[in-house]
Amino acid sequence: MSTLAGLSPPLRGRVGERGTTDAGVCGLPLSLTLPRKGGGNPPADASLTNEVKQVDIPSVVVAKDHNAILLHAVDEAAIRAGLSIGLPLANARAICPELTVYDADPAADTKTLNDIADWCDRFTPLVALDAPYGLFLDITGCAHLFGGERALLQIVTNALSRRGFAVSAAIAGTSIAARTLTRHVSGKIVAGGEEAQAIAPLPVAALGADDAITSGLRRAGLKTIGDVAARAPHEISARFGAAFTTLLSHALGQGDAPISPRKPLPDYIVEKRFPEPIATDTVIALTLQSLAKMLVAAMDRQGKGARQLEASFFRTDGAVRSIMVETGRPVTKPEMIDRLFRERLDALSDPLDPGFGFDLVRLAAGRTEIVVQQQRDLDTTVHDNDEISALIDRIAARIGGKRVVVHLPLQSHIPERSALALPAQHHLAAATAAAWPERITGEPPLRPLRLFERPEPINVPFATVPDGPPHQFTWRRALHAVVRVEGPERIAMEWWKQEGQSLTRDYFRVEDAEGQRFWIFRDGLYDSELRDEEGQPVPAKWYVHGLFA
Amino acid sequence: MSMATPGIHRIPDYAEIGITSNFSFLRGGSDPRAYVHEASRLGIPVIGLADHNTLAGMVRAWKELDSDKVTRPPKLLIGARIVFIDGTPDILVYPRDRAAYGRLCQLLTRGKRGDDITRIEKGECHLTLADLIDFAEGQLLVLTLPHRFETTKALDVLAQLKASSADGVWLAASLLYRGDDKRRLARLHALAAKADVPLIATNEVLYHHPARRPLQDVLTCIREKTTIEAVGRRLEANAERHLKPAHEMIRLFRDLPEAIAETMRFAARISFSLDQLKYQYPDEPVPPGKTAQQHLEDLTWAGVDKYFGGTIDAKLRTTLNKELALIAELKYAHYFLTVHDIVHYARSQNILCQGRGSAANSAVCYVLGITSVDPTKVDLLFERFISKERLEPPDIDVDFEHSRREEVMQYVYRRYGRHRAAIIATVIHYRPRSAIRDVGKALGLTEDVTAALADTVWGSWGKGLNDMQVRQAGLDPKNAMINLAVELATELIEFPRHLSQHVGGYVLTQDRLDTYVPIGNAAMDDRTFIEWDKDDVDALNMMKVDVLALGMLTCIRKCFDLIDDHKGKRYALATVEQDDPKVYDMLCRGESLGVFQVESRAQMNMLPRLKPRTFYDLVIEVAIVRPGPIQGDMVHPYLRRRNGQEKVSYPSPSPEHGDKDELYKVLHKTLGVPLFQEQAMRIAIEAAKFTSEEANGLRRSMATFRNLGTIGTYEDKLVGNMVARGYSPDFARSCFDQIKGFGSYGFPESHAASFAQLVYISSWLKHYHPDAFCCGLLNSQPMGFYAPAQIVGDARKNGVIVREIDVSHSFAQNTLEEWDGDYCAMRLGFRQIDGFHWLDEDEERLKQVQSSFRGVASATNPESILQHNCGPMDSGLAPSGAPRNDDGEKADWADRIIAARNRKPFTSLEEFARDTGLPKRALILLADADAFRSIGLDRRAALWAVRRLPDDVPLPLFEAATAREQPDENAQPLPEMPRPEQVVADYQTIRLSLKGHPMEFLREMFSRERVVACHTINRDNDRRRVRCAGVVLVRQRPGSAKGVVFMTLEDETGIANIVVWPKVMEQYRKEVMGARLILVEGYIQSSPEGVTHLVAQRMIDRSHDLIGLANGGLSRKHPVPAGPALIEPLNDDRRDHVDAPAQKIRHPRNVRILPPSRDFH
Repeated sequence: MSTLAGLSPPLRGRVGERGTTDAGVCGLPLSLTLPRKGGGNPPADASLTNEVKQVDIPSVVVAKDHNAILLHAVDEAAIRAGLSIGLPLANARAICPELTVYDADPAADTKTLNDIADWCDRFTPLVALDAPYGLFLDITGCAHLFGGERALLQIVTNALSRRGFAVSAAIAGTSIAARTLTRHVSGKIVAGGEEAQAIAPLPVAALGADDAITSGLRRAGLKTIGDVAARAPHEISARFGAAFTTLLSHALGQGDAPISPRKPLPDYIVEKRFPEPIATDTVIALTLQSLAKMLVAAMDRQGKGARQLEASFFRTDGAVRSIMVETGRPVTKPEMIDRLFRERLDALSDPLDPGFGFDLVRLAAGRTEIVVQQQRDLDTTVHDNDEISALIDRIAARIGGKRVVVHLPLQSHIPERSALALPAQHHLAAATAAAWPERITGEPPLRPLRLFERPEPINVPFATVPDGPPHQFTWRRALHAVVRVEGPERIAMEWWKQEGQSLTRDYFRVEDAEGQRFWIFRDGLYDSELRDEEGQPVPAKWYVHGLFA
Repeated sequence: MSMATPGIHRIPDYAEIGITSNFSFLRGGSDPRAYVHEASRLGIPVIGLADHNTLAGMVRAWKELDSDKVTRPPKLLIGARIVFIDGTPDILVYPRDRAAYGRLCQLLTRGKRGDDITRIEKGECHLTLADLIDFAEGQLLVLTLPHRFETTKALDVLAQLKASSADGVWLAASLLYRGDDKRRLARLHALAAKADVPLIATNEVLYHHPARRPLQDVLTCIREKTTIEAVGRRLEANAERHLKPAHEMIRLFRDLPEAIAETMRFAARISFSLDQLKYQYPDEPVPPGKTAQQHLEDLTWAGVDKYFGGTIDAKLRTTLNKELALIAELKYAHYFLTVHDIVHYARSQNILCQGRGSAANSAVCYVLGITSVDPTKVDLLFERFISKERLEPPDIDVDFEHSRREEVMQYVYRRYGRHRAAIIATVIHYRPRSAIRDVGKALGLTEDVTAALADTVWGSWGKGLNDMQVRQAGLDPKNAMINLAVELATELIEFPRHLSQHVGGYVLTQDRLDTYVPIGNAAMDDRTFIEWDKDDVDALNMMKVDVLALGMLTCIRKCFDLIDDHKGKRYALATVEQDDPKVYDMLCRGESLGVFQVESRAQMNMLPRLKPRTFYDLVIEVAIVRPGPIQGDMVHPYLRRRNGQEKVSYPSPSPEHGDKDELYKVLHKTLGVPLFQEQAMRIAIEAAKFTSEEANGLRRSMATFRNLGTIGTYEDKLVGNMVARGYSPDFARSCFDQIKGFGSYGFPESHAASFAQLVYISSWLKHYHPDAFCCGLLNSQPMGFYAPAQIVGDARKNGVIVREIDVSHSFAQNTLEEWDGDYCAMRLGFRQIDGFHWLDEDEERLKQVQSSFRGVASATNPESILQHNCGPMDSGLAPSGAPRNDDGEKADWADRIIAARNRKPFTSLEEFARDTGLPKRALILLADADAFRSIGLDRRAALWAVRRLPDDVPLPLFEAATAREQPDENAQPLPEMPRPEQVVADYQTIRLSLKGHPMEFLREMFSRERVVACHTINRDNDRRRVRCAGVVLVRQRPGSAKGVVFMTLEDETGIANIVVWPKVMEQYRKEVMGARLILVEGYIQSSPEGVTHLVAQRMIDRSHDLIGLANGGLSRKHPVPAGPALIEPLNDDRRDHVDAPAQKIRHPRNVRILPPSRDFH
């Protein structure tokens, strides 16, 4: 039995209690569909927070289908220009050359749908995805919190259309009926028991059965859902299968398929709504404190304690941030809950960004247990036993996180581009797992142990042309006589890079009289690159780029 | 070669033996020819080309040695880099002599074809060291080791090579600036000493010039299917792997000069050159005891007896004698005999064929039956085509029925054996579109960007992309990556991408072909092809026979068969009555729908203007509506002269420059206007004094994208020479423009003549036997320009009764039925139903032919053929006895229907389902095609009933299921299907309707809007303003029409031709490009010849009316399906138009005016 504690006017939060699993609960679903036309499926940069600019240049989203690029979604301007979903892009360009084209990104679509679902959590905890473009909201007992069904429908559709989504919504006694309605017209509210009447005049396509069935029915002259419903059910199921008959009866309001909410319904929920969004830490902390009290009070009545807690912060712009805390033992004290969350909030690497403020804060107990014994003190400091990371943390604390780095291999011949230095705190695992080019045993290393971040110029008075090493060089005001040398190793620059050097380098491994080993190079080839505009030779520049052990 | 001269200090020289060209696909960065030029430039005396398991690029390099621009031709060593599958390092193999070369070819053939047990896939080559050792005799083997190698393994390989019968073994050494070069060289040196083989220097060349490094890097990315950002160390670190001159190599190897000296010693051992490939004609067709020439002469005179009853006029006798003498002189008898042999086989199998090409329209070919074009009708000079100077084999292409050509091909294999006959290759080159695609992808540009770039003009004339074009594609011209992509793609154009088999060119040899050239498997079963293409084979003077496929021949054969069956008369290509004025009358009226070659819109418009009255007029008709004459602006002058509006005159040079009639001889048959390709070439030779070499070069340079630089020089030369010799600059320039147009669509007179013959025969069929013609055309689909709806509509207009598809009367094919009118009635066959399975008898016959060739047990029983094809496992498990309820591709649903109704006529749907055992899908297709009327069910009732049948179940259960099923009791009748919906459903299922045209249901509404029917357009007065509406059949924008779009509309009365001027097009682009059903407002324009157009001024998209017709009967997803694409058949530069990306063009015959039904899948 789905009940609501009656003590909750809209702005004071409400306590919901999960009913026992009664069959035959007649939910009141609100179905939302975001059609792939009229601005739906906005390009990836237009997230929930950005409003889509109103422009007159038609834009379309395309997807590849069997080697043909087809329109996957179109906006209003494109519809006006005569484009439709399924048209090959080439034809669309022929009709409308100034088209703006985006690649379909199903992952981003899914994410957007999930973001919208997150946002919808503010209306009811029972939100189900109706992939790929729809949502079901079970608003049983919630509608009055928002001023009734019609008002709720308005709030939802207005908010979404303001953000640039094309939205079609309907409320009906069964989810399938509601969804069927959205396929035809937005904003319809059908009272329980009147589904059949409302749905009968709709075309069969609104049922959303697969194309074979839809066109089969049309071929038979049964063009509206009413036409089909008028036939004997056995006649229909003999031809189109029992699944379709079920779909039909659900649409007509006879029974309903259960919707499966995205998130398991928490055992206990308390929440607080704000007419003016809150943003300051103090208010947030106070809110959490009072919610914790409410939650504990609710749990206490049934002798329960929380094992998993989740605080959700609903921002006015639609973004939702959730923070989850797990405990080893059931929690039964408000101050404990408060402390756990404070610790988590302090430890967050990116702070809770309120933006323009939160208009709803919710605290839910995801898992609860009957409390058998008195709660002991519970402090969950997380110990990380990895000593290296502990060391890194300590050094980082002293000299700064960016200065402790690990190297990751990059695929490039250019020495300075063949490794990437990244903060060790975040990339230790990747660095441990990285695969470096193998070195042959018994052969000397071709790369220095220490590579300078920037090659340092050296002074070379003389070297053999065209590809010989210097006989001596000056580095940091010290003169080094070259006694041993290997090379050159010729490395040409990456021609596709727009910026940076373009000269080819000849690298040498050299050893001076003291046994010091250097990795030096000449920048540019004598014959071709080291020439000025008149073709006269220009002197070569030499650098030391690293030191061998 | 400047080898050591005694007494003078010997300058060491260098031979580069490790060259990889771009025929090692996606590895080499330069064309084989580029190496020849670069070697000549650098003075490198010897280059050795060794591509990865292939000899495909050799002939190109070898031919290039004769180029004028190669001043110091290097000695070319022919070899291959054998890349093994067993982990052996690559070995360069260079044959010492002709015999060893043959063995190398055989080695590669083994790698590419596999053996009896494993068939190697196309493009792969599987070789092991053991294979190489089998063919090692006479080979010079060079082991190339990877940068890091294991000494022991290398020693082992070297020992095995030394133990083989190879001519010698070397170890390659290279210095590639890798840092540890010297250490590695020392290791190699030690290894070579231990194995007792000489070290030989090579630079392991990947490209001819260091500037090619970026392109080579891009090729690596394409090969590795990755982007330049991600490819990383798989690229070379530097640009050193280019062709280096001797002094540079000597400097690099200063520590080891003997490795350099060894290269010249190596080269000196090789005496093989491609000149030594002495080609021999196969002598199969010649009976023992006769020479080929004798046999050819005997056959010729026997043919004269057959065709002319032995009495021929003196002129033909002289011609024959002259031709025979020339054939004897050039020793081409074998060639003619071989072609005759193949044609003879086709005749014996009742396969229609028709020769064309340079030598095909000779008197000898006529009496040999190779062509049916009467040589007396087309006065073609034989010598012109077999040129004594060129010494190239004559060229005869033979077209066969396309559905039965494979039988002929298999005959060729059987007759000459796979070791002596193979198809030649076609080198698939990078084209601008594919180049920018691949380069763009490698540089990390998104698909949309590369697609947009590919759709622009760029590259068609090699100038790269200008800013305007980039902007047109919606991109930023300042984007450096885009410029880079365009630059590299321009370089990549004309690189070979892969080898493919030629459409039908065979090369035949007397001895083993695999000792001339490696042979590989084609993607198709039972096909093998060599690595060389047409030009390579020509360059080596090898004999090539083209066995081509032509759909119209299939159609004509089917028509002849139908006429034979139903009217009792047997015709052949040569026995159809010639010069029938009624046939020409029909063509003069422009009624050519379905007729070979002249059925396109442009041709249909030309017919009333040209008014063909003789066979030669048809030859001109075929050739005139082509890019060459159109771009050269030759069409109107010709028409004016023909109609007597302009004096016929012949351009001539100034008197001091020779014969004033020099062009009269070339142009007199075409009234002084050059129309054929050879006339244009002839002008280059006669008027611009090109050598025949130059003329050929000119023609080739037009046909490729790469030689663009040379076009300008040819243009200057041609126009310059002509003007200098006193021709008018205008004439000279239009001659050049015409040659340019011929470049890609060359159409020589001899081809036109052969085609004209088929034009005549198909017109004759259309006029006298429209029933058989329609039936034959439909049974040969897909072919031609028009969809079945128009073909059937045309036949009905010409008085043919067409009957619906019906399970009680139809066969798989469309058939003729008796009727008491002028013609037979035509019954539509099951093949018209989209998705219906039926077996093509030609394919079945081919399977029999193939299996009989393979020696498989006699294939009289088709079931055994099927089982043979599914392999031994399948046939072993197939249930015997019971008819298989088989839904596979092999199933012949039509056959089951016919078998069942022969046993007992159908009376109910249940019975039909049970007796035929067809899968449910087939039943739904039949019901939806309204094929159950004879058993009292219309489409709707049949579909409703079919859907109730249980899904496909094994037979015994099926029986039980049907027994259990009772009719719906007290079921209310379904609403009746209105006629418009019936018509729409017809169009959706069989793409045509005999019940009506969608437009007729809209007629009343349109009449109220004062819209006239399409056919009235064609009769109406000039300049009158009208409104007309119809479904859009075709949109065309010929390149020669300067942006004008032609649309063809259809309604229930006929077809209307709409002209849309560019200005109107811009205003109504959406309507023109998008509408299915369009209303056009404009004025009528008609020419004196009666060609009428409606010039559009306003257009309204009325597609929704068409959709409304079906009253929701159309599927939901695509309410307005894509209309016909814009096609531009006359234009090679279709990249000029963003509107019509070439690969997306749909042929009008495939365009649906209504989308298919979505009842299934």
